[in-house]
Amino acid sequence: MTMAQTAIPTINFKQAALDLLPPGANFGACLTCGLCSSGCPASGLENMDPRKFIRMAMLGMDEELSTTPWVWCCTLCKRCEYVCPMKIDVSKLVFLARGNWPSDRKPAGIVRSCKLTQLGASTSAMGMPPGDFVMMVDDILEEVHTTQPRFAQLRAPMDRHGAHFFINQNSREPMSEPEEMVPLWKILDRVGADWTYSSKGWAAENFCMFTGDEQAWREVIQRRVDAVNELGCEVWLNTECGHSYYSMWEGIERFGLDAHFRMESLITYYARWIREGKLPVDARWNTRGIKFTVQDPCMIVRKSHGDSIAEDMRFVVRTLVGEDNFVDMQPNRSANYCCGGGGGFLQAGMTDHRRAYGKRKFDQIAATGAAYVLTPCHNCHTQIDDLGHHYGGRYGVVHFWTLMCLSLGILGENERRYLGPDLLALIE
Amino acid sequence: MNTPVPETAATNLETEVLIIGGGVTGAGVMRDLALRGIHCVLIDKVDLCAGASGGNHGLLHSGARYVTTDLDAAIECRQESERLKRLAPQCIEDTGGLFVAVEGDDPGFAGRFAQLCGTAGIACDELTVAEARRLEPQLSDKLVKAYRVPDATVDPFHLALANVDHARSLNGSIYRSHTELLGFEVADGEIRAAQCRDSRSHKPLRIRARQFVNAGGAWAMKIARLAGCADVDLRYAKGTLLVHHERITRRVVNRLRPPGDGDILVPGGTVSLLGTSSTRVQDLEQVGPTVEEIDLIMREGSAMIPALAGARYTRAFSRVRPLLQGGGPASDRAASRGFALIDHRAQGLANFCTITGGKLTTFRLMAQKTADLVAARLGKREPGTTASVALPDAEAGRWTEPGAAPRHWVKLNDPSDLILCECEMVPQSAVDSIVASAPDGAAPAMSLEAISLRSRIGKGPCQGSFCGIRVASYLYDQGHFRDRAGLAALRDFFDERFKGQRLVTWGAQAAQMELAEALQCGLLGLDSLEAE
Repeated sequence: MTMAQTAIPTINFKQAALDLLPPGANFGACLTCGLCSSGCPASGLENMDPRKFIRMAMLGMDEELSTTPWVWCCTLCKRCEYVCPMKIDVSKLVFLARGNWPSDRKPAGIVRSCKLTQLGASTSAMGMPPGDFVMMVDDILEEVHTTQPRFAQLRAPMDRHGAHFFINQNSREPMSEPEEMVPLWKILDRVGADWTYSSKGWAAENFCMFTGDEQAWREVIQRRVDAVNELGCEVWLNTECGHSYYSMWEGIERFGLDAHFRMESLITYYARWIREGKLPVDARWNTRGIKFTVQDPCMIVRKSHGDSIAEDMRFVVRTLVGEDNFVDMQPNRSANYCCGGGGGFLQAGMTDHRRAYGKRKFDQIAATGAAYVLTPCHNCHTQIDDLGHHYGGRYGVVHFWTLMCLSLGILGENERRYLGPDLLALIE
Repeated sequence: MNTPVPETAATNLETEVLIIGGGVTGAGVMRDLALRGIHCVLIDKVDLCAGASGGNHGLLHSGARYVTTDLDAAIECRQESERLKRLAPQCIEDTGGLFVAVEGDDPGFAGRFAQLCGTAGIACDELTVAEARRLEPQLSDKLVKAYRVPDATVDPFHLALANVDHARSLNGSIYRSHTELLGFEVADGEIRAAQCRDSRSHKPLRIRARQFVNAGGAWAMKIARLAGCADVDLRYAKGTLLVHHERITRRVVNRLRPPGDGDILVPGGTVSLLGTSSTRVQDLEQVGPTVEEIDLIMREGSAMIPALAGARYTRAFSRVRPLLQGGGPASDRAASRGFALIDHRAQGLANFCTITGGKLTTFRLMAQKTADLVAARLGKREPGTTASVALPDAEAGRWTEPGAAPRHWVKLNDPSDLILCECEMVPQSAVDSIVASAPDGAAPAMSLEAISLRSRIGKGPCQGSFCGIRVASYLYDQGHFRDRAGLAALRDFFDERFKGQRLVTWGAQAAQMELAEALQCGLLGLDSLEAE
């Protein structure tokens, strides 16, 4: 090491737990039963696990806990709290520990993504300015108009005051695979949704939350809340992205922000539109009985909506691929395991740790025998894709919007990048 | 445990001095004599610190507690605690202590207290209430008076283990646990041998010696009677303590008033001990805490530290203090905490002595006086050296301190060194080290209690329900347990831990107990072990 590193201050974790956790669920209530650790994919990484975290706090080993890199391996997925008989939330203290690391020692990738998010009015972790986003949407829309005559009238409204839905957008699509935006536009068109994009605060991702920097998290959410309030939309509809929902939902509550809108997830509306007959998807296309499983994103299932949205998701998937072609992963719904793409792990530069963490997810997927994993979360998507390549899996990962348009027979030719030969063969 | 005593155990043992009773005093006598080159055998019917030595709050008295009742004892405490802090720092945490009065306490007592501390040479600084509460934020807002004194805490298990370990290494002196004294062979005004048996295998053992020391603590009167001596006159005071599984103060906190129930909170590494009560008892074997005592201790303790009223307690236990029978006042609190060394010459025995009474803080002095007598009787005139020779670090004693095992484990950072006790984070390597330094004749079949005594295993919030199973499994893996021996050992261990939890089962600890029951009865079926 050539340069002296900034020291990591020492936190009094036992006291912090008393301050942050409710009575009866602080560290002193731990039964040391180990349900947390035995169901934590980060157990063993850096020789740590959630129970050890609690016990080390109780034994006063604050320096060790303040400096353990394990806090960047924990994805803050809250499965430990979910299974804990005393409902002890270790992730709150892990979050505190993350925030306590000096910026120059935090994983550079997460810090960089947060900085970019803070820079512009877009709040895009990939640094895409509002003008570029508007232009990209226009370009792609124009391309659809010329190449897909059926959709010559397709619209992607921008900054439309009074629209019912404010729909956010993960930066990954406009930045690196813009044609992936189109299937969702088609779905919204089909159901006749009254919606708009915004040129400000449109981006979904929020790595500031993962840095443990509450101030930065708050700033990002404030800008997004302002953008929605400004357009006077009734519903902020979160795209197929996990942490974007949680960071907004939790952030508004945590920071007491004044939001004049409801927060909803696209999954809820997919299910509703199908039930209402507005989205006539079915499984007749799946003539070869291709099997699908779903990855429940921790952020929208266990950490916010709970099992209700997991049920909606299953309703959508069953309708879409056929009852017999859906194989649930075990465990699932709120008891689901994080894939290892959460908490900023993908940006943390800890590839070996991340893949070791994800091995359980890989095994769970393999056990379903499914050919595809459906997941409405970009981090899940990327991580599960990477796990497949790394561990030699033979599955694909698809967005819901892709499969819906496939079912409706409206999936454009350049909107099929996540389909394998088996699915492509069904379209031909 | 059902495992037979290993072949190495002889049916006859010979030594210069047999010491009966493995409390800190017996261990101290053993080391003192070994330092003088005298070979000893130390026996205990259970194991080290099974009596009052292991059943107190671990306070290293500055002496301040006794200034108003026994100035000589106070001065003795001051001298000995200063010495121990110098010579055995590894067993001591120099926490400092406070004496605090709350609204309603006698204001006159404080003045006397400070003045008498001065007379005894005990440093005693008055603090403002604000200063005291800054030092210890958990103190009551009804505090009216506070003094700072040089109290400290001492780990009696570490102390006894280190004394025994040193003696064993000096001249091959022997420590045998689970060795019960049945009687003495007396001839011509001398004891010739002690008849004993292994309390687990019931195998008889005869120990011949030139000198016999009765360091039986509360049992000293019974032991003396086995030798026909009627001159040890003790009364028994049961003391009850509560263990709170968190450390909530940095310092010892005493109530600034005449000694009474529930007047002290002592941090013990990572936990807190709250005590004590004092009740006369006649029976030495069946002592246990009562609901009334626990209520009383919590009520009195929470007057000093309100958080104690809602704290989670993992354990309550009672031990018997031997108090020397004097004439005088009826209160046990006022009875002398001083010690007695009785040479039994008047009872017609020339090679038997009894050391009893006293307290943990003065154990070294008690041991030295005893060893002086024994050495003189053996014709050895050189003085003892425990007042100046530092107590060496002992491998055997390094695991008793809360927090020691996890620090070792984190430093080692070896994922293959599995944690067996998750509460106190004791790894396999610590158990290996403990088994390797087992009492003479006990390895490799150490009981879970014996391992627990030498470590923090079983002492965390789970009170053994997980670590018991894990350690037993590990001992099976290592070949120490075979067949059903481990299950029986587990049942004995859980029975012992249960005794301490029975009366503190509420709140989170009640949930803990349900979990323990599910594991012990539901999973392992230990409740029907005998019926099978």
